[in-house]
Amino acid sequence: MDDSNAVVITGMGAVSPYGFGVQPLWEGLLQGRTCMHTVAELEALPLVRTKVAATVPAADYSFIPRKYRRTMSRMGLYAYCAAQEALRQAGYEAAPDKLGFFMGSTLNSISVWMELAQYIQGTRLDLVKTSDFLQIMNHSPLAGVCQALKINGPAMGGSEACSTGLMNIGLGFLAVRSGLVNQALCGGTEEYHPLFSACFDIMQATSTHSNGNPAAACRPFDASRTGLVVAEGCGLVFLESKKSALARHAPILAEVLGFYANTETENMAYPSAGTLQECMQGALAATGVRAEEVDLLNAHATGTIAGDIAETQAAAAVFGSGLSVNSLKGHIGHTMGASGSLESIACVRMLAEQTVLPTQNLDQLDTRCAPLQYVTQSEQRPVHIILKNSFAIGGNNCSLLLRRPL
Amino acid sequence: MITREEIIQKTNEALKKEFEFKEEQLIPTAKLKDDLGLDSLDAVDMVVVLEQQFGVTLRQGYDLRTVVTLNDLYNFIETLAHAHSK
Repeated sequence: MDDSNAVVITGMGAVSPYGFGVQPLWEGLLQGRTCMHTVAELEALPLVRTKVAATVPAADYSFIPRKYRRTMSRMGLYAYCAAQEALRQAGYEAAPDKLGFFMGSTLNSISVWMELAQYIQGTRLDLVKTSDFLQIMNHSPLAGVCQALKINGPAMGGSEACSTGLMNIGLGFLAVRSGLVNQALCGGTEEYHPLFSACFDIMQATSTHSNGNPAAACRPFDASRTGLVVAEGCGLVFLESKKSALARHAPILAEVLGFYANTETENMAYPSAGTLQECMQGALAATGVRAEEVDLLNAHATGTIAGDIAETQAAAAVFGSGLSVNSLKGHIGHTMGASGSLESIACVRMLAEQTVLPTQNLDQLDTRCAPLQYVTQSEQRPVHIILKNSFAIGGNNCSLLLRRPL
Repeated sequence: MITREEIIQKTNEALKKEFEFKEEQLIPTAKLKDDLGLDSLDAVDMVVVLEQQFGVTLRQGYDLRTVVTLNDLYNFIETLAHAHSK
């Protein structure tokens, strides 16, 4: 096979509800630990039915110089940590020249916005600081990390809610493959605010029946699931041409074979199986991978009733009932704009370790989900190609194929 | 009327909080830009926090470009405070 145009992953960085780093993420997943906990702000809101979330442990970020930290909201700080880890794994202490950077989020920092809103309501706009504004631009985390790590190539902030992380890996893939850049850092970042939980609760999409037992709150594909658990974090991967990786003897972690993206036009909030099917088929067509070559679908599967059913129906239509499928949101919740890239990092580790992680809290399959091979116990077996799905509210779908290095 | 010592104490308090300075950095001859590392964005934010600290308006009618050292800043605020008290 001619792979002179191949795009590979040579570095990864993660900030997740398990903490800081790819290794804590992998170990937490492997050990089957769940990250959900009760949120005091939600408990104080009687009309918001969900009371749980999965958040990044508090940390001291004073190691980031104040000059850069002043323009970073929490999601920017997460992005800095993930970017630094990914660069280091790729073999760089400082960003290489002309590095591309593709990263976005669902929303920007609601916490900082809330502070500014207080100034507006109190007619005290004289209290607004430049550092406030520089934290709430749509691309603030992207711009802040570029400043801090001296990333001087094209930086673009694709933002498609829950698909953001995966879409940006797709954008990075295109940028490397087209020759726009030789190397690119890409993914998504997100910070939690109770407003996320409240808004998804209004849409009847949150987990509401396990507030007393947060560990059981997110239950992808399970018959008793009621919805998602909002989470936060950042996942970034370092992409480069295989030629570049080989030339500098950088260890190749995985290959990005390609991706496809499409858009649901019937409803902003409810995906149709037909559109999701076309998205997955598109990824196969774009890469030349045959359906039977896919060893695992790492599903978007957030634990919502409608979403899980539609995704499994679509997958069954493309791959048949023999397809192995898992979801990681039972462990870490839905990290929103970071989910596609954080979960892709877990997929790369699954490929490396030849280990398929189980879906947490899948005790009894919802019979409305299509018959597939649902992974409920950790499996050690050959895994060469994984299909990663991310489907966003707004209807923006993305399917991306990852392959173990040949 | 506010004394110069009070101005120095309140200014330093605000600058330490906003810019994470240590007490020993805040010597009167320290240059805001060259010694303390404050850039143009910091200069704007410094005005905001000092306005809050002293309850006066610094941003209109005065030329902050004349302020180079910390001592210049104390003088600037002292002049303004005295003008306000007249």
